[in-house]
Amino acid sequence: MKINYSLVTRRTFLNTLFGGWLAAFCGGTFYALLKFAFPTLGKEPDFVVLKTADFMDIPPNSVKPFAWGGQLGLFYKKQSGSTYALKGVCTHMECNVTYKPEDKKFYCACHQGWFDEDGKNIAGPPPKPLEFFDVTTEGEKLIVAKKGIKVELPKA
Amino acid sequence: MIRKILFACAFILINAATLWAQQETIEVFPSAPYDRHIIFQSLALFWVAIIGLIIIIRMKLKEIERIQKMGIDREEKNIPLLD
Amino acid sequence: MSCQRLRNWIEERYDVEGMKGLAKQKLVPVHQYEIWYYTGGIAMFLFILQFITGMVLSFYYIPYFEHANKSVIEIVTKLNMGWFFRSLHHWGAQLAITALFIHVFSTLLLKSYRKPRELLWISGFILLGISIFFGLSGYLLLWDERAFAAVRVATGGAGNLPVIGGFIKAFLRGGIDVTGETLTRFYAFHVSVLPLITLFLIGMHILLVQYHGMSVPMSLEKKPLKQIPFFPNLFYKDLIIWLLVLGVVVSLATLLPPEIGKKADPLAPAPENIKPEWYFLFLFQTLKLFPGDILGLNGETIAIILISCGILFFFLIPFFDRKSSRGEKSILFTWIGVLYTLYFIIMTVIGYLT
Repeated sequence: MKINYSLVTRRTFLNTLFGGWLAAFCGGTFYALLKFAFPTLGKEPDFVVLKTADFMDIPPNSVKPFAWGGQLGLFYKKQSGSTYALKGVCTHMECNVTYKPEDKKFYCACHQGWFDEDGKNIAGPPPKPLEFFDVTTEGEKLIVAKKGIKVELPKA
Repeated sequence: MIRKILFACAFILINAATLWAQQETIEVFPSAPYDRHIIFQSLALFWVAIIGLIIIIRMKLKEIERIQKMGIDREEKNIPLLD
Repeated sequence: MSCQRLRNWIEERYDVEGMKGLAKQKLVPVHQYEIWYYTGGIAMFLFILQFITGMVLSFYYIPYFEHANKSVIEIVTKLNMGWFFRSLHHWGAQLAITALFIHVFSTLLLKSYRKPRELLWISGFILLGISIFFGLSGYLLLWDERAFAAVRVATGGAGNLPVIGGFIKAFLRGGIDVTGETLTRFYAFHVSVLPLITLFLIGMHILLVQYHGMSVPMSLEKKPLKQIPFFPNLFYKDLIIWLLVLGVVVSLATLLPPEIGKKADPLAPAPENIKPEWYFLFLFQTLKLFPGDILGLNGETIAIILISCGILFFFLIPFFDRKSSRGEKSILFTWIGVLYTLYFIIMTVIGYLT
């Protein structure tokens, strides 16, 4: 078939074809590069398993740190003796918080953020309360899990 | 025909590579058959893309040479402009 | 996609038309030796590839002797596409050095180094030396047995130079022996010192090429040659060749991923059948030619001195070859060029086969 008149010239057609093909080619190549350059992301854990003996016997009104994935987790015993676990990371700019036993408050030194003993943000810039976890014990194992996660321990 | 030869060559090379890789203690190449399949498929696709690009570039070159032969690639200096 | 506003924005600030005119002015002669013009472009393309793959690899590599080998293994076995990019970096280096050798020997045989292009030869020669050092330093980063032994031999060889040898050896090794210090040093060379020097020299090399224009072989200098514009004709041809080279590197990287040896142990015996990288073979083979003792002198030292003289002469060839600088035929230097080329090829092949 031969067309006498065409809306595109030979040059525009070739340029578009070339540009499109080149863009696709570079895009594919670049995608592979980015796949390598971006880290194979680690996920925040759903739960961690600790040893009961290490944590249950801490004195009242104190905390003991544990590893929540790569972040700080705090095991916390209130004055009343009830135990909790929470993520020790400030909800404002992700600094680690400390517990101030004399005030019974959690404190973030980065921007002077305060949380009360239930983790509620009471002063300073933090926008949200601290994240508390579920704590359950199974014999020797102390399981700290995200709220609402069903823990399925691997059969050992 | 050429495709057959290319595939044959690729096949021999692949087999040689796998034979060679078997002696290694550290896997420098993914070993799962599915991964390998994907990798070789991607390699073939990559070559197809390159050959496609080369064909387009050759067409462009021909077009450029045609225009140069006609002498319309050089813009005239004294084109009257409507200002 | 015309982006008229963006185009206007740029044109109001920069003399785009002038630059376009400048690009159009670059003409390249057409003749039967023009294929050698592409070797430099190939080398440049491979260098760009090395820079990119090197950058992403450095995200994951740990330059500490305890972890270096393990981190490479982790890149290869655990990360997305890790095996591919390490392999690509390896094969890119091999092909880049091959391209550089072809480039330098074609320059030598076509006598493109003659006046007024002496500085081009000098900068190119330094770039070749740097690339070889790139290869050696990159090779050590693997920190496996072979790399360890190879670097010991190479730095020890430099130590045989009279007077300055000891200093060079200590400087390269960062101590009296190859240790973790050497790894840190070579890492610094490989990722910061050498790339910066390379960028500067490549920039200079390319600017000089633009300044002088393409060299025409002496036998064709008097004849009227057809010239074609670099842009777009030659540029697209370059692009085709780059694409082919990319395909070859990627295929090699996929089909022949390089192995990783056991972690280096300074106290272990050297592994069997150890051979240097192919671009060291001609030196290695030359050293083998000399007996250990010549007239009561250390044969190794004499060999190193002779090799150094040979390389120095090679480096200064544009200044020795006066005849071709005056535009006369210089048969002597044609033979010297052929001799160098043949020596390199034959010694490399012998070294490879034995």
